[in-house]
Amino acid sequence: MQEESRKIDISRVLDAPRSLVYQAFTDPDHFVAWWGPIGNSLPRDEVEFDVRPGGHQRWTEVSASDPDIRVHVRVDLTEVVDGEVIDGLMRVAGHLPGGFEPFDTRVRVEFFDEEVGRTRLEIRQWLPGHLAGPSEGGWRQGFAKLDAALAIIRGGATDNRERE
Amino acid sequence: MTGTDQLSAVFSALADPTRRAILADLAERDATVTELTAPLSISMPAVSRHLKVLQHATLISRSRSGKWRASHLEAAPLREAADWIERYRKFWDTSLTRLDAHLAAVQAAERAANATAGTVGMSTTSDQER
Repeated sequence: MQEESRKIDISRVLDAPRSLVYQAFTDPDHFVAWWGPIGNSLPRDEVEFDVRPGGHQRWTEVSASDPDIRVHVRVDLTEVVDGEVIDGLMRVAGHLPGGFEPFDTRVRVEFFDEEVGRTRLEIRQWLPGHLAGPSEGGWRQGFAKLDAALAIIRGGATDNRERE
Repeated sequence: MTGTDQLSAVFSALADPTRRAILADLAERDATVTELTAPLSISMPAVSRHLKVLQHATLISRSRSGKWRASHLEAAPLREAADWIERYRKFWDTSLTRLDAHLAAVQAAERAANATAGTVGMSTTSDQER
């Protein structure tokens, strides 16, 4: 339950075979064609992928509206299963838009076969560790609290004072 | 405070059940220390100390008018974390929509190439155009 409160969960079915969808995440020539957000560009010569457990993926995002905004992203890959899983710690640094500070966020992408040659993506992205303190325990605890507090703000649950 | 420091202050403030109870109370209305102490089983000075922590984390603000010093819930710091989530949801939504289009284009090109290869010498080129 706490686990659920501190990450983004996205599921999407794409009309392409699993091998091709996996390639779109792991081949730089494919990757630069779709990785967002819209308006950003990824200079091809600043993309470097070494996709294997212990490897990395590295690229730079350049803002179209303000070329000074250059976001440097490096994913240290912890788990890679060919055609099935890419999991790693994404380190986002550089001059970030929106006044965001550099942060680390774990991202896990899983690929599943669907009917008639389609592929289901399951993407999970964890909130940056700095949002909840240094320890894993602090993290978990912090997000349980955040959950409760957000519920208060939404006005949906003003009575969850002691539900642990 | 920087964003990171502020979020740390927010989380440590929220770590205490009494302070969460106070926030829940303030979500319904602004309240004085006396009003906030009533439903709790702790002293008024203890409640005051909790209010200071919440104020430092900018989770609440306190008016200074007269002897009725009311506390007011400030939602902004919590929204910062919620905004982060929202931002990345949008990011994925946009990127995956582009990925969908990219995959469609790649497959269309492949099909066209295969069709061409499979019909060498035949005069059906007009069927293969996109």
